[in-house]
Amino acid sequence: MMNGKTTRRNFLQQTGLWAAAFAAGGSFAKRAQAARDKELNIYCWEGYNSDDVLDPFRREFDATVRAEGLTSDPDAVNRLRAGETNVWDLINVNNPWARDMMWPEGLIRDLPRERFEPMMEKMMPAFHPPYAWALDKSGEHLLGMTQRFGPFNFVVNTDKISRDMAEDQGFKLFLDPAMKDRYGVLTYDNWNIYHMCVAADIHPFREHTEEEIAAVGQTAKQIFNGAKNLTDDLVQMNLALINGEIDAYFTGGTYTASPARYDGANNVRGITPRSGPMDGKGGIVWIELTSVVNNPDPSPLADEFLAYVQRPDVSKKVAFAEGTYNPVTQMGSKEVLDSFDKDELDAIQWDTLEEEMANSADYDINPDYAEMYDLYSAAKREREG
Amino acid sequence: MSGVASGPILQLRQIEKRFGDFTAVTGVDLDIAEGEFFTLVGPSGSGKTTMIRMLVGMERPTGGDILLRGQRINEMPANKRPTCMVFQSLALFPHKSVGENIDFPLKIAGVDPAKRRARVEELLSQLRLPLSYYEKAVQQCSGGEQQRIALARALAFDPEILFFDEPLSALDFRLRKTLEKELKDIHRETGKTFVYITHSLEEAMVMSDRIGIMQEGRIVQVGSPSEIYNEPSNKFVAQFMGEVNTLEVETAGAARVRNLADGREYQVDQDLDGFDRGFLIIRPEVVKIGPSAEALANRIEGTLYNDYALGSRVQYQVRIEDVGVHWLVERLQDEPFESVPGASVVIGWRPEDGILVRD
Amino acid sequence: MANNPAGPPRRTRLGEWLRQPGVLVALPTTLFLLVGFAGPLVIVVVYSFMPPRTFSMFQAPTLANFVSVVTDSYYISFFWSFALATVTVGLLLLVCYPIAYGMAKLFGKWANLVTVLIALPLLISENIRLFGWVLILLKNGILDGSLQVVFGLSIPSLLYTVPAIVLGLVYVYLPFMLFPLVIGLSMVPHSLKEAASDLGASRLQIFREVELPLAMPGILIGSMLTFILSLGSLAESKILGGQAVVMIADDIESAFTFAQNWPKGSVLSVMLIAFSGALVFFLFRRIDLDRIIGRR
Repeated sequence: MMNGKTTRRNFLQQTGLWAAAFAAGGSFAKRAQAARDKELNIYCWEGYNSDDVLDPFRREFDATVRAEGLTSDPDAVNRLRAGETNVWDLINVNNPWARDMMWPEGLIRDLPRERFEPMMEKMMPAFHPPYAWALDKSGEHLLGMTQRFGPFNFVVNTDKISRDMAEDQGFKLFLDPAMKDRYGVLTYDNWNIYHMCVAADIHPFREHTEEEIAAVGQTAKQIFNGAKNLTDDLVQMNLALINGEIDAYFTGGTYTASPARYDGANNVRGITPRSGPMDGKGGIVWIELTSVVNNPDPSPLADEFLAYVQRPDVSKKVAFAEGTYNPVTQMGSKEVLDSFDKDELDAIQWDTLEEEMANSADYDINPDYAEMYDLYSAAKREREG
Repeated sequence: MSGVASGPILQLRQIEKRFGDFTAVTGVDLDIAEGEFFTLVGPSGSGKTTMIRMLVGMERPTGGDILLRGQRINEMPANKRPTCMVFQSLALFPHKSVGENIDFPLKIAGVDPAKRRARVEELLSQLRLPLSYYEKAVQQCSGGEQQRIALARALAFDPEILFFDEPLSALDFRLRKTLEKELKDIHRETGKTFVYITHSLEEAMVMSDRIGIMQEGRIVQVGSPSEIYNEPSNKFVAQFMGEVNTLEVETAGAARVRNLADGREYQVDQDLDGFDRGFLIIRPEVVKIGPSAEALANRIEGTLYNDYALGSRVQYQVRIEDVGVHWLVERLQDEPFESVPGASVVIGWRPEDGILVRD
Repeated sequence: MANNPAGPPRRTRLGEWLRQPGVLVALPTTLFLLVGFAGPLVIVVVYSFMPPRTFSMFQAPTLANFVSVVTDSYYISFFWSFALATVTVGLLLLVCYPIAYGMAKLFGKWANLVTVLIALPLLISENIRLFGWVLILLKNGILDGSLQVVFGLSIPSLLYTVPAIVLGLVYVYLPFMLFPLVIGLSMVPHSLKEAASDLGASRLQIFREVELPLAMPGILIGSMLTFILSLGSLAESKILGGQAVVMIADDIESAFTFAQNWPKGSVLSVMLIAFSGALVFFLFRRIDLDRIIGRR
């Protein structure tokens, strides 16, 4: 959902869709248009492209649905900017992009409020309308629907490090000399950078001074030099945690811990720090927003799909799609909540979710990302074994 | 070279070689004299290649002894033996130039580089190869040149015995004839012991001092070329030389034999003591045809069936009608004879020209 | 590509030249190679001259990316990639030569079985095979656990170390060294080695003077393949090495993804291609393959 891994499978999908895009942009565009009311192209984080989710929709609407997993938010937005608005019908990215980028740039269109706001009423209270990330800045236009979300900070083995101590120490835990070689870094580079800001007591989602940026670079060095291993594979990281190679990993949350927890490793736990530099908060939560792409030749199925995924049974499937498991905003409805058994709720740390949400700031855009990234990648490269 | 020309350089005692159940060579006794040109002849599968591979050290005999100047060398590996072979494939090193190929044994022996170059050039001229060939790639040389390079390389090794594994078999007739003579010249010039194997008795005759004939893993006859030609020890040896007329015969009184196929009797010029049954071999070139046959002791009538021009000679096929057998007859071009296909002719031979063998 | 050394291109006009059967036959392949092979390369080269963090190919060219790559610490990644590739090739030669020798000369009909056994894992994704090694090398994993149970001794973790990366590289690229070596060694006629022995050469001399030079095409191709593959490797360092070191391919991937800096990624790619290309060119200049194979 938020890592930058290009698997071979989605590479192939990507290739296929590029070819489709190529054809669509060519002289066949006119003829192709006629068939669009039975066609839907979805560009989304993994989960929505699962056949469990798509097949019932295909049958019900007799539709050809293609879905491509995306690998990074900015990458996805860049592709819409590059003209792929005539390929996609739906785009699913993290919360800040719709309001701050895609809507002002005319890449997405708004949703009929009268149809979708009643559905939002059934979500968890925090997501009821008017929900700021789903609206444009004027508050008039509804830009998308929320579904999956989750706190995303770091993960510990609670047999080695208590939840209480971890929440208390927050990201400072990784700066403790005693932790040297006892933790890994899950290299979701963008999240690493936000978390390094937090570790350096700097709010990641606002303008930074040169000194602050340098301080983040310094923190990056410290964290990389103390790390036992780096990987971008959450399965491998969980395995290292369970086998005792490491006791914690930097950057992670319910998204990465849930597969291990669902397998019975309940000592793997996502931690949200109790306090930190983001107006007192020390954790970050991501919320996915699915929006309708401003396709010049729109598919009428786009709205239908958005409504479809709100259904209780589909919501559950999205929450427990292949790979990772995540809470969904639709769990505000008793019917959806009741469809989760105890193990499933435990996998997504339902018991502490509300508390963790309260301690988290919403994911946003870091205006100095590029500059910090150079320092970050240098720190990784120059890492001292 | 040693210059001692007395005694055998190489002695084989009851040599045997088995591969699993298959016996390739068995019961071979042979002495090869210092400085002689000895050729082993046999058809493919007769064991001659296995034989030579044992002699150079690429195979170990499973029985018997190989003695080099009286020393048993059965177990001595090829690279330790003072002998060397020119391969059928020549086995020239494709990644080395002509000069480097010839230089190889000198380099391996650790000869001083300056002397090596001089020796290689000496060999190049001895084998009538231009000195400029030193740098040339072996693949660019002609078949005959490659033969000479392979020989030069072997000579550079300065072996006590030089073995040859049918090196000329892939060449065309003319080139083969030329190289056969050159090889004989080289043998004379170097005075080394040459042991050559070939499937061509004709080739062996041209070059060899002595010839050994191999048949099914054994040596069936050893002798000078003329002995092999005139006194073959069995039908196999006699037939190996080329096409012959072979009659299966039994004794029919003093100096007479009877052809088992048709009952005809012929005179032989041989003591038939102890001879019961065997073969009478008559080479085509001793059979006379037409008027010159009329006065001979052994005669048959037949029909002229076919004739073939062989250059200096003409070969005829004569059909003996009652048994349906074809005789081969050869006659020099300048001997008078008017051949008319289908005509009745008389053929005949002198008793002393028939060769009687037991098996 | 489509040249025809036999034809007289001076005299013919372009139209006639194009109508030659050879040219016509070569045309589809030529076009395919231009579009599919040269095209992407050209695009990468063009991007390397675009301003940092931009996505269009039609801007004023700049050397800014090259400057930033050279002044930054990317030399570390280049160093590690080249060092690990060199070590990998060396180890692969040592490991594969005896196996290849066996397959080419000794195993007989069993060689096919060995070939299948070695080729079969290629059908499984590299990542999964490497993950198998993770399970073996992991603390309390198969190796450590077995040693603890059987001998009661615990070994220091091998995972997330440079040797683990080398192990992964050697393991994954073994077939790419082995099969060219098998072909190379099969090209050495047995009679040449016998002849060398007959001319007095010892085993070592035969190896040095005959076998090695004649097997050189296979050795070179295997080394080249595995060197280039190792140079561009990523998974071994990520999965087994825990990125104990950052390979240049990792930097390239990051530049294209998380950093959203296509021009920088392009510069790194261009430099990697140039370095490895120069190396290959140099090697082929030094070692004359035609001569070895005996075509000249």
